[in-house]
Amino acid sequence: MIITGSRESPLLVYITALIALMLTLMPLPRSLGVLWPNLLVLVIIYWSMMMPRAGGILIGFLGGLAIDVFVGSQLGQHALALSLLCYLGIRLHLLVRAKPLFEQALFVLAALLIYEGVLWAIDGFSNQSTGTWTRWLHSFTGAAIWPLVAGLLGRLHSPR
Amino acid sequence: MAFAGGGLNSPSARDTAPGPRFFVFAVLSILLMYFDQRDGWSQRIRYVLQGAAYPVQVAVGSPRLLWNSTVDLFSTRATLRRENTELKARERELSLTAMRFAALEQENARLRGLANGLPPLVKRSQLADVVSADLSSQRQRLVIDQGDRAGLYRSQAIVDATGLVGQLVRVGPWSAEVMLISDPGHAVPVEILRNGVRTVAEGTGNEDEMRLSLLPATADVKAGDTLVTSGLGGVFPAGIPVGTVVEAVRDPDDILARVRVRPRASLARDRQVMALWFNPESPMAPVDSALVRELPEAPLARPVLEPPSPVAKVTKP
Repeated sequence: MIITGSRESPLLVYITALIALMLTLMPLPRSLGVLWPNLLVLVIIYWSMMMPRAGGILIGFLGGLAIDVFVGSQLGQHALALSLLCYLGIRLHLLVRAKPLFEQALFVLAALLIYEGVLWAIDGFSNQSTGTWTRWLHSFTGAAIWPLVAGLLGRLHSPR
Repeated sequence: MAFAGGGLNSPSARDTAPGPRFFVFAVLSILLMYFDQRDGWSQRIRYVLQGAAYPVQVAVGSPRLLWNSTVDLFSTRATLRRENTELKARERELSLTAMRFAALEQENARLRGLANGLPPLVKRSQLADVVSADLSSQRQRLVIDQGDRAGLYRSQAIVDATGLVGQLVRVGPWSAEVMLISDPGHAVPVEILRNGVRTVAEGTGNEDEMRLSLLPATADVKAGDTLVTSGLGGVFPAGIPVGTVVEAVRDPDDILARVRVRPRASLARDRQVMALWFNPESPMAPVDSALVRELPEAPLARPVLEPPSPVAKVTKP
């Protein structure tokens, strides 16, 4: 990465994604677990907008596949949803990146709702339990902590 | 990274046109889902992935384990002594029960006309630590630290000291995934211990609650009834405690009773669970599922839940 002089570091993306995955999977008491944001998704949204070339859509696919394996859902379910978010992030990165954090959080909320919506639709298509309304809650907490996530990750790479 | 792509144009081309790449990954995901619905080579992929995932699962579960062992370390002499006396009392109680049980078993064998006693139901058991837990409204699963290497197999029954916990749905090399009886996709054939009424207990996505959804409103069930596995279905043996009826509501407009059940096992708080192997010769053992598959189609009883037919209208003048 240093050789190419690129500021986009895939290593940074993969390491932060792995840490976020572990934090996401942490066993929590039920009331907190419902509200616990999916940090892996937030981190992947962040990198797909800030470093669209470092991880690409591949990081979304791999991250989603990891969630599938860990939570025991159908292989490919989270992978599809997260690839879609990566695609949207890369597509809209110039638009969203320039916005203030508050407006970014609204975009993130929409993205997280799309993510959960895709999962919900796949659950429905494959005749699995679609859960209760509480499954949507993490989208809102995720959007609420977006400024924090963006601030923390922003310190890890030099802003252009 | 940029050089790997070839020309100078390629990074920016990748930047502006992520569409084709997304298309490839989307197709790949959908193919994976399609094959995962069917048994076959996707099971083998799962097996490998589950092995690869195990270190991360251990790392994720380690703060809790660390906390637990720290608590154990600092537990005082007084608490340990109290625990010890409690355990001793319980041990006495259990050995008394076991004695009575042995007598009953012998009597049972005599009544069945067997010369020497019945073979024991449980052939072997294996303790396993809970590595991580996923308790959401859509999924109620545990990951345990024993797998294929310890001989565990898919759809094996898992219990704890108080009752039924669930069954194995995926077995990796060193770990396995337990679907809890409270998982919304899980159903256990049960019977009411008091009167032998058979029904099915379904999970709700809440580890403190299950429900009996196939009981007619006229069924004899009331709060406080104990439910045990009925031995039907070919996964669980008969007689394992499942739960206690908390509430039975009869709505006059509804043909079914609404029955809430609290699972006996402490599903969310278990630190250790036990996998069981059954003795096929025991009459209590689950019917081998291979045997069930050889039976002719269709005689499985299905509840008839059709709306009442409009016979009343015909009798009108």
